[in-house]
Amino acid sequence: MIQLSDVWYRYGNHQILCGIQMQVRPGELVFLMGPSGAGKSTILRLVHMELLPDRGRVVVADFDSQTVTSRDIPILRRKIGVVFQDFKLLEDRDVYENVSYALFATGVPRRKIKKKVFQVLAEVGLSHKRYAMVPELSGGEKQRVALARALVNEPFVLLADEPTGNLDSENTAEIMKLLQRINRRGTAILMATHNEDLVQKVPGRILRIREGKIAT
Amino acid sequence: MSRNYLYSIREGFIGLRRARLATFLCISSIAVSLTLLSVFLLLTINIQKMVRIFQGRMTFEVFVDQGLDESGIQDLARILRSMEGIEKINYISRDAALETFRTEFGQDPLEIYGENPLPASFQVKLARPFMTQNRIRERIQSIQGIPGVDEVIFHDKLYHSIDRYSNLIIVIDGVLFLIVLAAAILLVSNTIRLTLFAQRKNIEIMELVGATRGFIRRPYLIQGLIQGGLGGLIACLAAWILVFILHARLPNLLEVPAHWFLAPVFLGLVLGYAGSWIGLKKFLS
Repeated sequence: MIQLSDVWYRYGNHQILCGIQMQVRPGELVFLMGPSGAGKSTILRLVHMELLPDRGRVVVADFDSQTVTSRDIPILRRKIGVVFQDFKLLEDRDVYENVSYALFATGVPRRKIKKKVFQVLAEVGLSHKRYAMVPELSGGEKQRVALARALVNEPFVLLADEPTGNLDSENTAEIMKLLQRINRRGTAILMATHNEDLVQKVPGRILRIREGKIAT
Repeated sequence: MSRNYLYSIREGFIGLRRARLATFLCISSIAVSLTLLSVFLLLTINIQKMVRIFQGRMTFEVFVDQGLDESGIQDLARILRSMEGIEKINYISRDAALETFRTEFGQDPLEIYGENPLPASFQVKLARPFMTQNRIRERIQSIQGIPGVDEVIFHDKLYHSIDRYSNLIIVIDGVLFLIVLAAAILLVSNTIRLTLFAQRKNIEIMELVGATRGFIRRPYLIQGLIQGGLGGLIACLAAWILVFILHARLPNLLEVPAHWFLAPVFLGLVLGYAGSWIGLKKFLS
């Protein structure tokens, strides 16, 4: 479902990835482990096709980095959920608007949007905050909004880039529970983290990145 | 209209409400720029109009030989009328010339000379396409060669000076217009770019969740159109008030076709739309 074959990526003078070879199968939970600057986020950005490899190939579902066009990328992104350490929410909008935006962008009818958004907000435990503005939310709540937004389009894979990096231990545990629940429903998860404790507590495959390579 | 378009229109209006200060600044800068441009436009129209009126009133004076009798004068009138490029002739008899002299100068030449010394003449008006330096010279020469013509007088130096200076004023005015237009485009596009700069994170997030460029762009283009249209309307109103005030003081000078007032609105819409489009290019990946 996600396949990286001999992927190389350089940023300026810095060779970030050197021949990455990996795959994520449907419904799998995969942790990308490694220190800061190891290239974890770059891998996620390559899967999300924000970046294209200098060499090698990234295949995500039917989309191939060697043939993908700029018109294909929004379509691919609607099939992928994504959450970040810094949440990346629309600060000038409320919770409902943040989550519904992803559906409006795909032309889903308003009636269906309302139903879907309420459903996903209930799933992440934020129904009571649906009309709260983003700056009024705590870090944990913001990450749950980001998760709701990522899930509302029913993606086959969720990319999570240090999703608990800005959260306290209580909120971290909450978010991890949510991620596990999502994964059990069949959504694959590819999560970048450097938190060793976290990875030990949650069952999943671990890929360790060192100096731009997958450590064996 | 598709759901996406309705959503974009709604988002466009909401965006304007969210960024009230930026919207106000953008509309103000468009209104100020277009008001200046409208003033230049009015100035240009009026300079051209004044020059046309003045030049249109200029005629040749064709003085008739003192000895020419009535039938000779009628023959001369016929020849003048038949000449190419002559729009109108007006015969001024010796008696009429005497009467005009008395009215304009308050003196009677009969008392000084004992007889009427003024010759009969024709006022000749050339058609507009013939009012060029070469053609005027040609006409003067050919009229001078007609038997019965004593002298042809035309203030060609004055005519060409007006022509030259009015052209110079129009060129200066045109250059200033272009400078103000360039400044207006820069001002508006930078104001819009600043507004969009504040939105750059939102634009990035919209791309991350799979919104197409068109979907992201549309609300901002609608905002640009609204801001440009409103700025243009204000400029149109300001220009109309200016014309209204000046018209009361200079009724003969200012006459502007009604549809000219729509120019700032049209230009505002173009500026707002193009400014948003160009500004967005920078922030869309």
